[in-house]
Amino acid sequence: MRRIAVAPQVLEFASDDPIAARVLGALYHAAPATTAAPTLRYALRRSATGSAAGWTATAPARADFGPASLGDAWAFLEWRATEDLLNGAGADAVFLHAAGADLGGRLALIVGDSGAGKSTLLAQLMLRGHRVLGDDVVRFAATDGLFSAVGRSVKLDANSLRAMPLIAARCAAAAVGTLLAAGSYYVSPAAIRRSWAAEAGRPWAVILLDPRDRAGAPGLVRTSEGEAAVIVTEKVLGEAAGGARRREDVTVRLLDVLADVAAYRATGSDPAAVAGALEREAER
Amino acid sequence: MTTAGVLSRPVARPDLLLRRIGSEWVLYDAARAKAHVLNLTAAVIWTYCDGTFDRAAIADAILREVPGLDATRIRDDIDDVLRRFADEGLLG
Repeated sequence: MRRIAVAPQVLEFASDDPIAARVLGALYHAAPATTAAPTLRYALRRSATGSAAGWTATAPARADFGPASLGDAWAFLEWRATEDLLNGAGADAVFLHAAGADLGGRLALIVGDSGAGKSTLLAQLMLRGHRVLGDDVVRFAATDGLFSAVGRSVKLDANSLRAMPLIAARCAAAAVGTLLAAGSYYVSPAAIRRSWAAEAGRPWAVILLDPRDRAGAPGLVRTSEGEAAVIVTEKVLGEAAGGARRREDVTVRLLDVLADVAAYRATGSDPAAVAGALEREAER
Repeated sequence: MTTAGVLSRPVARPDLLLRRIGSEWVLYDAARAKAHVLNLTAAVIWTYCDGTFDRAAIADAILREVPGLDATRIRDDIDDVLRRFADEGLLG
């Protein structure tokens, strides 16, 4: 059984089965363990028959899922744990669909739709020694206007992994915090670097990832700060926005926080080159 | 009110919020959950949309504030920008 803190929630993942326990431990491996009482409980259990399709997943306020394969039961729990977290961000915070990294004290918020390459770029930045906020979900506290890290594992596909031999080796060795699940590799930032989490802060830059920009030379080009800020406001996730009034407050707060942000579009199809260009911009 | 009426002495909807982002401005329409990016010219025009200025008065005011602008061009810009404001439902 593992309990982790993703403020303001305490998630508990439980299984009597060692394989399932490792699976459950991989998703939020980098989040701090806690002994506090759980607010959200998840479990993976194997049926007595021990068949391959004999797994049942349990999540709050949902009917049990299964019997199903371990992969399907895992996918259900990943979905529920993410949704529950997004919808329970608390009164002062929301989660955004974005990645983030700290480049020498300058925080870059990386924004793009699913499949745009946030995780791959973030993994490249991790390999270059930068601390991160996360690859898919970051926390924004409207009260102090700070973005902070979520200890969720980075999700990579085999193509991305091929260009990152260090991470590939960790996955091949099944290092703690890494997991291969249905064609995707989950890699905990803590499996790459012990001190992985960027300090909470305000973004220096917003990096827009758009598959339409993959043609051309790899690098970064300046783009409209206003458009970038508006895109960030559209990335607030979940019902945590808490209705129109709350969403309005969060949007205005985000615009205030992004008043002096620089905006770039990442171009080309080489995430390592984009990571290098981002380092150079941050050093200016 | 017709578009022409709205544009005669334009009035900004009071519930919209204008915020500077870098060298641009964002006009946030919470009621429609929509944000509009404005350049500096559009943002300046927006500040004159209080119902007391007609298009000519807006042009005169901007030309007084920023000497050296081309008068014909600024009048064209005002027409374009106000039409866009009206089309987007940003005027009362």
